[in-house]
Amino acid sequence: MEILYSNKYLLFIIRIVLGFIFIYAGAEKISDPEGFAISISNYRLFPIETINIFAITLPWIELVAGVLMLFGIAVKENSSIICSMLLVFTIAIVISLFRGLSIDCGCFRKGNQIGLLKLGENTLMIIGSFLLILFGSNHFQLKSE
Amino acid sequence: MKLNYSKILSITFISFLLSLMYNHFNPNGLSFVREERKLDWENDSVTSLNKIDSIISDASLSQVKLSDSVVIGKKDEPLESLKKPTAIKLDFTYKLFKQGIQFIDARSKEEFAEGHIEGAINIPFYGSENYLSVINSLNKKEIVITYCSGADCDISILSGDELFKMGFKRVYVFIGGFDEWTKSNYPISKI
Repeated sequence: MEILYSNKYLLFIIRIVLGFIFIYAGAEKISDPEGFAISISNYRLFPIETINIFAITLPWIELVAGVLMLFGIAVKENSSIICSMLLVFTIAIVISLFRGLSIDCGCFRKGNQIGLLKLGENTLMIIGSFLLILFGSNHFQLKSE
Repeated sequence: MKLNYSKILSITFISFLLSLMYNHFNPNGLSFVREERKLDWENDSVTSLNKIDSIISDASLSQVKLSDSVVIGKKDEPLESLKKPTAIKLDFTYKLFKQGIQFIDARSKEEFAEGHIEGAINIPFYGSENYLSVINSLNKKEIVITYCSGADCDISILSGDELFKMGFKRVYVFIGGFDEWTKSNYPISKI
């Protein structure tokens, strides 16, 4: 079974997919910081004063991690960053679902409501990033000689 | 699973610096400390209620319209546009309801189907991009009132902001929402 999980082509596909998803997610939020700040505040998990700091910094961490991941640079480290963010996002979604909030998840563009589908998507991405932390992916990577 | 923690810290730190630089030069950048989104309240006391009364009595309209032809009190004094969406209370809302003002329910389709303010139309905030034809069919110069469940939800405010950006000149937000409306036994309908 480990042979399947550590298959270099599978890991490469996961790396590319996660890289593109995080580049897209980061760029989308960077283009509309106010919209992302509103999405975070809808979760009602953080004091209102702290929300802009998250809205300013998180998208850039996503974007940089996504780009580095795409080019195969520090794959394990970037996967761990992505995995940590996904875990935090997923916990926030679970808490909001338990509280009965019907809010935009703030993941991509507006209209992505939180729900079981979103939890499923996040779980898949967490599994993918965890595999990359375990096995890395050095197929088609950019590296200096 | 051997991780280089200094690399993780470096990537996070560089991203952090990039974000601060971008935010500094971005004209739409955010301030570091966010202030709570607060709406101004309409002067819903005697003045505003009288304003509505006078519009109706002067113009004999079945629906209040914001146009240069509509006058309040003096015939040469037009009803001005609002500078931003404005919060209104129950009594003022009911007064507007009786004049046939358009209500917009920002809640989900399912919540709307369970019950809504009589005559309201449903434009869910989450997915409002699918309701552009409905939004465009409304007269942007007329008063519209957005609402959601109650004071705990903010999608009525966000919908109000969205409509205002789309060119609606006079957007009111009924903060008490559907909960306060039903508690007062005001008219509702169900699909």
